[in-house]
Amino acid sequence: MSETEVPPETRHSSYRPADRVRGPIVTHPFPLGPARPPAGPARTPAHSAQRCEGTGACALACPTQAIDVKGKGRGSSFRLDLGRCVFCRACVEVCPTGALQARPDFELAVTDLRDLIVMHGSPRGSVAPSVPERMRAETQERVRRLFGGSLALREVDAGSCNGCEVEVSALAWPNYDLERLGIHLVASPRHADGLLVTGPVTVNMRLALEKTFRATPEPKLVIAVGACGISGGPFRGSPEVLGGVASVLPVDVWVPGCPPRPEALLYGIWLALGRVEQRLRRGELPDGERTAPARKA
Amino acid sequence: MKEIPYEGDEASVAAVALPAIRPVPTAADEGKWARNLGLKDPTGEAARGPWTGEVPRGSWRSVALSLRPVLQHRLATLWGEDARDRVRVHALWLGGSGTRGVHLYASLPEGSLELPTLSPEVAPALYFEREVAEMFGVEFAGSPDTRPLLLHHRHRAPPMRGEGAAPEADRSRFDFAPVEGEGVYEIPVGPVHAGVIEPGHFRFQALGEQILDLEVRLGYTHKGTERLWQGRDPQKGVLLAESISGDHSVAGAVAYASAVEGALETPSLPAPVEAARGLLLETERIAFLLGDVSGIVLDVGYAAGAAQANVLRDRAYRLLESLTGSRLGRGTVRVGGLSRPLPTLVPGKIARELQELARGTEELLDHVQGVSSIMDRLRGTGTVPLAVADALGMVGPAARASGADRDVRRDRPYGAYRNEEVRVARQDAGDVEARLRVKVEEVREASRLAQAFLKRGALGGAVSVDGGVPSVSGERFGLGIVESPRGEFLFAVSIDHGSLQRVHVREPSFLNWPAIEYAVRENIVPDFPLCNKSLNLSYSGFDR
Repeated sequence: MSETEVPPETRHSSYRPADRVRGPIVTHPFPLGPARPPAGPARTPAHSAQRCEGTGACALACPTQAIDVKGKGRGSSFRLDLGRCVFCRACVEVCPTGALQARPDFELAVTDLRDLIVMHGSPRGSVAPSVPERMRAETQERVRRLFGGSLALREVDAGSCNGCEVEVSALAWPNYDLERLGIHLVASPRHADGLLVTGPVTVNMRLALEKTFRATPEPKLVIAVGACGISGGPFRGSPEVLGGVASVLPVDVWVPGCPPRPEALLYGIWLALGRVEQRLRRGELPDGERTAPARKA
Repeated sequence: MKEIPYEGDEASVAAVALPAIRPVPTAADEGKWARNLGLKDPTGEAARGPWTGEVPRGSWRSVALSLRPVLQHRLATLWGEDARDRVRVHALWLGGSGTRGVHLYASLPEGSLELPTLSPEVAPALYFEREVAEMFGVEFAGSPDTRPLLLHHRHRAPPMRGEGAAPEADRSRFDFAPVEGEGVYEIPVGPVHAGVIEPGHFRFQALGEQILDLEVRLGYTHKGTERLWQGRDPQKGVLLAESISGDHSVAGAVAYASAVEGALETPSLPAPVEAARGLLLETERIAFLLGDVSGIVLDVGYAAGAAQANVLRDRAYRLLESLTGSRLGRGTVRVGGLSRPLPTLVPGKIARELQELARGTEELLDHVQGVSSIMDRLRGTGTVPLAVADALGMVGPAARASGADRDVRRDRPYGAYRNEEVRVARQDAGDVEARLRVKVEEVREASRLAQAFLKRGALGGAVSVDGGVPSVSGERFGLGIVESPRGEFLFAVSIDHGSLQRVHVREPSFLNWPAIEYAVRENIVPDFPLCNKSLNLSYSGFDR
């Protein structure tokens, strides 16, 4: 076909774009309003110390060694790292006592890695206390002042399986419409206020990730996405991966998931901006209402 | 396309009624060829698997080169295996519908890890050989390209041999093929790209707006996944299979699970379990292909159309989520079945949603083909002729858009597809438009198949397994081949006394990547994203 020739079916088209693109509003209000509850079986593990009998079945079933059970019976201790968890429910399915239940929660992002650890009983080598409230508040206040509630983010795939990319791209779809919140996914680190990093950081991506970070002007935020970004996830232990974003960059916010659903990412980005309260503290979520109240920018 | 001469011995030529134009070798031809070579003829459940046998390394090349013209099989994959004092190199050749395939291997003793190359005649062999060379230290004598493929760093020892070595700090050089001449310039792109996409490096050689040549360098997302599998419990290996290409996790999980089930000689799964897997596979296909439709439309600058495709895509992910709890359908497929039955939702509602997704996609295509400024960009862009697609051994919708008649669901039916006819979409033009049309047609077919699987009892009732995999003695081998949204997704698994001994995975993109280097030639630089999106190649699937 020559360059000037018009395809035959388009010659007498009475096409009017507006007719075709009109439709109902599909954008979900979250985080400005309540979130849609996730559909289907819940996947976030929650542990009840009262019901746990320390059988250790969960630890054996976990494909990422996110669970550690020490001792047997009522006196045992239980440790779950949501930063390694891939939310596959294997632990919930094998738990003989019902101590592990699946919940639909997704607002799991934290600013302190230690808040991702669920710990019951008192095993040796317990976690240090998380950052004091006062320091958190100060940091958030500073971030709010710097970025004014708006943020330009550069996404970097540091060796992800492309699962996280599906969900990060989804943020730009009409359903989640990131831009309505003043948050933009930009094409260059030079235009960015921060990096959204996925993947376990492969040896082969290390240099590119470091260069991208250096190319991002100060002040800047780093958000580590997914089990891989936090701990290396399924690839932890491979000599070809460094095992998470923090092995190379200073991380401000951690967003668990495999991959985190778009709402979980939105929550994490808002947490980075200090526009929402962190819900998960020392591995525990508050009961009651599902969605954290949004704060004024 | 170029005629491939039929060089069978006279007896086998006489055994088939040869059509006048292009003889298509049958399963009988294959059997005769294989028996002549002395290959094993397994019985029982294993009889569905390929003809298998060892080839002396002196005949590695001659057997491969005679196999191609006689059987018209293509090289589906080639991989190495560490057998302590030796390295085995395996090659799997697959043919058309009804044939079983041929699995050949050569044993190379320590101290002389050498094998003649196949790549001058068999194009797809090149990437495979480069990988086996760097991972196992095998030298492919006569190879035209000995640069590393996935490793960017030096390792003290080949990473897949023995204990395996970790990467060392010094970076190895990579020389791109230069193009010289007045006004010719290079455009380096990546590994960090402008969009939300995976990392890889593209080196363009351009003259003005025109691309003279493109060379792709991958390996940035190499995670040593095949090594991670070794020694693991097969059930826990599912997660890694889901993480080969996360955008088709279900296909990875099903292909891996079927390979392990084959190795363990698991009896056929109950029909509802197969139907449930089929339903998940086809729903995933719809979501995936809608992403391609959206990407193609977006890359010609038509944001409204892309938005519409994405709205549909989110509905498809929501549907997967309501079936599995995960938007990407992860954590549901297990070796031996499913981790739990799919929820007992109202089948009618799901069927309606599947119909809506297909209808919406077709409406979008209908609309897009009425916009001349879009069609002008798609038509004649990024053309891959059938001869090239065949020579590269391409698979999936990208191959079918070039006229290749190839679909695992029909040619080597597995699970629920054994009882369901699959209508294979095809186009001849091989350009971006053809790929768009094939993909839209495949959304429609996926919707139809998913509805058929619903009727076969995919919801509820399906038996689940609770973690355990039967422990079997001795060394077992299994193949799992599934038609993922990108095409033929292949796992070859060896199990030794109940734990994984060697897992080789060949994601469809491994075969399709070279096509982009061909497709962009003589196109203009701004059309590169279109070629890229329409082929939708997986970086992580290639690098692993």
